[in-house]
Amino acid sequence: MIKLLRIELYKIFRRPRTYISFGVVTATAFIFQLAMGAGGREFIEFGMQDVSEQFNVQGNIINGYLVAYLILQSLLIQIPLLVALVAGDTLAGEANLGTLRLILTRPITRTQLVLIKFFASAIYTVLLITWLAIIALFLSLFMFGDGDMINLKSDAFVLILKHDVIWRYVCSFGFATLAMTTIAALSMFLSAFADNSIGPIISTMGIVVVLTILSNLELPLFNAINPYLFTAHMVGWKGFFDSIPPYSAIGHSALVLVAYTLAFVGGTIYYFNRKDINS
Amino acid sequence: MTPIVEIQHVTKSFKGVVRVSDLSFAIGKGDVYGFLGQNGAGKSTTMRMILGLIFPDSGKIFINGTEFNNSRRHLLRHVGAIIERPDMYGYLSAWDNLKIFAALTDTSIPATRLHEVLEQVGLKGREKDKVKTYSQGMKQRLGIAIALVHQPDLLILDEPTNGLDPQGIAEIRELIRSLSKDHGKTVMVSSHLLYEIEQVATRMLILHKGNKIAEGLVGDLLNPNEMQVDVRIVPREGVAALIAASGWAGQMVVADNTLLTFRLNKEKIPALAAWLVGQGIGIVEIRSKHSLEDYFLSLTND
Amino acid sequence: MRRLGIALLMSIVCSVRAMAGDPQQLYYALRNKVLSVKDYTADVKMKIDIDYMKIPQLDGKLYFKSPDKMKMVRKDGISILPKKNINLALGSLIPPGDVTVIDVGTAVLNGKTLRVLKVIPEAENTGIILTKVWIDEATVMAWRTETTTRDEGTVVMELTYGKYTKYSLPDKISIIMDVKEYKLPAGVTMDYREVPQDKPKPKEDAKAQKKKGSINIAYSNYVVNKGLDDAIFADPKPAKK
Repeated sequence: MIKLLRIELYKIFRRPRTYISFGVVTATAFIFQLAMGAGGREFIEFGMQDVSEQFNVQGNIINGYLVAYLILQSLLIQIPLLVALVAGDTLAGEANLGTLRLILTRPITRTQLVLIKFFASAIYTVLLITWLAIIALFLSLFMFGDGDMINLKSDAFVLILKHDVIWRYVCSFGFATLAMTTIAALSMFLSAFADNSIGPIISTMGIVVVLTILSNLELPLFNAINPYLFTAHMVGWKGFFDSIPPYSAIGHSALVLVAYTLAFVGGTIYYFNRKDINS
Repeated sequence: MTPIVEIQHVTKSFKGVVRVSDLSFAIGKGDVYGFLGQNGAGKSTTMRMILGLIFPDSGKIFINGTEFNNSRRHLLRHVGAIIERPDMYGYLSAWDNLKIFAALTDTSIPATRLHEVLEQVGLKGREKDKVKTYSQGMKQRLGIAIALVHQPDLLILDEPTNGLDPQGIAEIRELIRSLSKDHGKTVMVSSHLLYEIEQVATRMLILHKGNKIAEGLVGDLLNPNEMQVDVRIVPREGVAALIAASGWAGQMVVADNTLLTFRLNKEKIPALAAWLVGQGIGIVEIRSKHSLEDYFLSLTND
Repeated sequence: MRRLGIALLMSIVCSVRAMAGDPQQLYYALRNKVLSVKDYTADVKMKIDIDYMKIPQLDGKLYFKSPDKMKMVRKDGISILPKKNINLALGSLIPPGDVTVIDVGTAVLNGKTLRVLKVIPEAENTGIILTKVWIDEATVMAWRTETTTRDEGTVVMELTYGKYTKYSLPDKISIIMDVKEYKLPAGVTMDYREVPQDKPKPKEDAKAQKKKGSINIAYSNYVVNKGLDDAIFADPKPAKK
């Protein structure tokens, strides 16, 4: 299994397309950092209008921690696309290339193949999030320095002391990895149905975008279904930036994401074991 | 002796269209089994079923006497295959491709074996090139190397000469012969060209619209005594009557004022020609072909 | 420092003797005393207790310069202070200039009997409409003020004295103030809502009520009237437009 996983990773990382994601993360984060350097203060003051009416907030507000948070906030909407770019290609891409039929004439089981593809996508996701951590957090800290971190929520102004921040980032990157692994599993599941990778990539994004919109609509009907949408749980990483993280809710969200991941992987195994390979 | 492959009453449909209908046959150890049929006859579908790529609606498939579905992974250790095109990872070198597919087994294959198999298919020296720079013939040979690398007993080659130039075709043909003769492999090879099957196969099966039309030893099916000879002549009245009254009447199939068709032994063609010339009949062209080929071509011309 | 303490003590004693029974004089004595502190620095521990502000205790150094310059500095950190009108300085919460003082009697606060005065500024541009001040007549020190401002609602300050009584500076203060609404669009912040738990929604009438918040500060290590440069109070970055 390890040997097969190594081969799979070799295939992923020998393909130029894989590095597009790392490039996109780097470029987006860097542009964001430049923009925050140029106009970050106005941007933050706009968000802090209500607070500034009564309080003078002084100090290095636009520091690396805040910039990293804002980068994560905007990038974690796009990262599903980058994850889907690889995970959506796992089975459909092989089908499209014609290599799937060659692989399946070798003495490995289809379940093995699905699991290897899933683990390889998960490892890619971990590496992408790690890269994001390096670029978004460490580069921002290098550019903007550190300090206490503010977090503007819709109903709260949160301030986290400098020494209390890093562990929250570690946890939130961990959570984000879990959330993105769910996306990888969804993408792979859709990939099992297709013979080219465009379909699963677009479908994954479609599903994420639609469900994210539903998750954020404050309508009674959607509030009722919200707990069952994995997109509502994907932003659980933000919970670590509450003054006291809502651990039980975050734990619940993590379990929901794990359940969805297992369901997607299980669904892929079930379907793929019954699929006629006509590609 | 247990056949290496045995198909029992296998049927497969796609979206209501029957692709393979109640097909049964067996491949003995050491056979080069020709699988002949026009495009869409069900050759690839059958081969995919033997390899477990698609699942029959009904019927059973046995490899080495074991039902395939019960022991897919174990049985595939003994099988190497190319189905349709030899598609590989174009962005990787031939060596990487070979290494990747060689690793997709549960046994470890040493690098020396990779070199050996590249040598065998004539790709030595080009193994570092990316596959996307390869010609169709080189890809085909690399495909065969991949199929051979884990030293399987059974090779399933679906249209292995497709897209090759005459020299490439001859090389593949020679390779198949050698694999059977020198290495004792059993080979199942498909083609839509009778000529190709005739060149390499020991047994053959003709498939048409999913149905088995004929099966047997190539030598029997392509009996030289059963040559069909078409003689195109300078138009002349009363030729049919002339032949009917001669010793050639028994071999005559059809005769009109311009075309005479006989079924006879290949060695009798010169005598027939001499007789026709002797009768003052002007010969424009003489063509001989196997009767099976004629039959097969008539299917192709549907 | 000792000389300053003695001077202050003398002035207290003289004031009390001279102005006993006159609320106006008592108020002026208090104000003079408060304003006698021209500047100070102190180490502070500040706890902001406002519904929408989730802020841990902030430790820092507070700089004050009379009448209303104040700055909190935290090493590499962010400091939060109420804006000018609700300054943490007592001097800003009691009316300047000529005032009308009404004696409303005495009240007991934390076991201490205090004189309660209502002070109304005569000038109209002070920002303060009325201040109610609880004064310990013996020491001429304010233990509580209740200031109604023109723009910032009512601000209550409670002061506790201890180690720094000789400078008439509190060990602890507690400010209770009206707090404005805070809201950002959820679609922009994309908050993580604790989805499985149905949180009880705030009652409608709760919105109508003015929200109160409090700020508690503990002071230590005062350094008083050593002269502070105005540059200390300059905002290092351009202030908000």
